[in-house]
Amino acid sequence: MIPKPAVSDQTMIEFKDVHKWYGDYHALRGITATIRAGEFFSLLGPSGCGKTTLLRTIAGFEGISEGVVLIDGKDVADVPANKRPTNMVFQSYAIFPHLTVAQNVGFGLRKQRLAKADLDARVAEALEMVGLKGYGARAAHALSGGQRQRVALARALILKPKVLLLDEPLSALDKKMREQMQVELIKLQRQVGITFILVTHDQEEALVMSDRIAVMFEGEIAQLSDAETLYRRPNSRRVADFIGTMNFLPAEVISETAGSIEVEAQGFGRIHVDPKQAASEAPGKSASIGFRPETLTILHEGQQATDREVGATIEEVVYYGDMTYYDVKIDGTEKPVRLSMRNVFGRPVLDIGMRTRIAWSPGALVLFR
Amino acid sequence: MRGGWFKVYALAYLVFLYAPIVLLPMFAFNDATVIAFPLNGFTTKWFSEMWVAPGLWPALKNSLIIAVSSAVIATALGIFAARASTRYKFPGKAGIMGLIMLPLVLPEIIVAVSLLVVLLGIGMPLSIFTVILGHVLMTTPFTIAILTSAFQSLDRSLEEAAYDLGETPISAFRLVILPLVMPGIISSLLISFTISLDEFIIAFFLGGTQVTLPVYIFSQFRFPQSVPVIMALGTILVALSILLLSIAEYFRRRGIAKSGGKDTGGFL
Ligand SMILES: Nc1ncnc2c1ncn2[C@@H]1O[C@H](COP(=O)(O)OP(=O)(O)OP(=O)(O)O)[C@@H](O)[C@H]1O
Ligand SMILES: [Mg+2]
Repeated sequence: MIPKPAVSDQTMIEFKDVHKWYGDYHALRGITATIRAGEFFSLLGPSGCGKTTLLRTIAGFEGISEGVVLIDGKDVADVPANKRPTNMVFQSYAIFPHLTVAQNVGFGLRKQRLAKADLDARVAEALEMVGLKGYGARAAHALSGGQRQRVALARALILKPKVLLLDEPLSALDKKMREQMQVELIKLQRQVGITFILVTHDQEEALVMSDRIAVMFEGEIAQLSDAETLYRRPNSRRVADFIGTMNFLPAEVISETAGSIEVEAQGFGRIHVDPKQAASEAPGKSASIGFRPETLTILHEGQQATDREVGATIEEVVYYGDMTYYDVKIDGTEKPVRLSMRNVFGRPVLDIGMRTRIAWSPGALVLFR
Repeated sequence: MRGGWFKVYALAYLVFLYAPIVLLPMFAFNDATVIAFPLNGFTTKWFSEMWVAPGLWPALKNSLIIAVSSAVIATALGIFAARASTRYKFPGKAGIMGLIMLPLVLPEIIVAVSLLVVLLGIGMPLSIFTVILGHVLMTTPFTIAILTSAFQSLDRSLEEAAYDLGETPISAFRLVILPLVMPGIISSLLISFTISLDEFIIAFFLGGTQVTLPVYIFSQFRFPQSVPVIMALGTILVALSILLLSIAEYFRRRGIAKSGGKDTGGFL
């Protein structure tokens, strides 16, 4: 296992108020962000939010309408795609079908006019890095999806770019292969130390792989943070809804001081929330309390809650093998919330209609207002 | 019973379409000057007479010059048009493409007469060159149709991948796009060559004193004794056309298969 290298503070890519118009359509609406050198960075968001567009402005395939893009400190407005220190792994892989695997991988080295022996050595090294040792002579159009993707990776990495751009590289693979490639990509990134920017609409993939994630909606970055912050403290209901499952219950802010916010929450009563646990919400919407399914615990008979507990009724049980999801209605609330429990002792004993108690603590609750 | 009638219809259709072509070799090998049944025995003498027929070789030479030139020019124009129509958006694109494709449906005689009027009007002498002009006009829609299918089956990101790996637009075209559309180009060359080779009306109107093979064949029908020779010549031309078109279709299909695309067009 290669230890995770410390991400430097050095900036690799900087967006300053970047806008992109396609005719009347405002595809990027003021993107401002920095991506650090050596970072595994993900652009996450629903279909059509502008992830690919943003990635392509880095690669140089898409000009921007307003703003500045800096790569390694240099404004790249006038630098064409073929002169940028970036390389891309395309969603379709874009393997040249008329060339062999080795010719594909060595394609970018053509300009360097290496001696044949050097070229072959570089290609062999790149192929070995992606686990395709000995595949050089194969015809590229006869490869499987996973192999194509490795060829695309080798072809991009052989040029030792400052930034590797990946546009949904795993979306064409089946689930098993995808999970395997996720791990391989993380290892590869640690090994080469290059800044990786990954576009994905799969939140799990982004959480698993990235140092930091930018969640995008409709051409804007809604939240930019590491995976844990994104999961534990989403800054808006929209982000919370997009990343995993988040339950919401109506709440009302009673009073607010510098160190704590007093809230009257349905089902939980009067609680104090740390301001760090409070997310901003679009004005006009009423406040609510949110929590993840695994942060509340269903108590066994006779088990004591460590902090506080509340009564509830089981409304639905969904068995998932390693987990069971329970839809429970907490006393004093109107709609059921979803909780999850690991099935440590085999099949759960709780059933629909049963009364139970739920342990909770204010620290698990996020305030949206 | 509907299926039964359909079979009859299909059969009649095929007979009308191909019977005349089958008759051609029959009489080409028939040992009689008169084109009529019953057949009179097998001979190859019409083929050897054809070899020494006066006027045939100059006509063949003219036809080859015209067919090769118009195939090359029409294919070159087709590459530009197909590339432009698949790669770029520009105002009035549909209209412009429609206009270019128009000769495909215009009656050829109208095209020929209008061209003749224009050429005479500007005082250009009729020659092989004017026939080439006419044939380029006629064959360009075909080359565009074939080449558009070839360019369309190309994944756009292949070109971007080449830029991304450091190539300029020109070298990317040469290293990636050209090899991938090459089967389409060969197919386009062969088809426009074949069309030009047996085109009659334009060659007849715009050729002046220069005679092409189809015009020569037409003129020979005035002499009954040379009809079997024409049958022999016709047989060779049909065989050649079928061969060229088959090769063309082979290349078109191979090109699409190679670039991993779907078959969306073509003529055969
Ligand atoms: N060349 C273009 N011309 C016009 N509109 C475009 C163009 N490219 C993208 N768009 C629009 O810009 C928006 C953002 O597109 P983009 O491809 O960046 O989305 P995305 O986030 O990558 O989505 P997906 O997950 O579906 O790939 C979309 O609404 C799309 O229709
Ligand atoms: Mg996309």
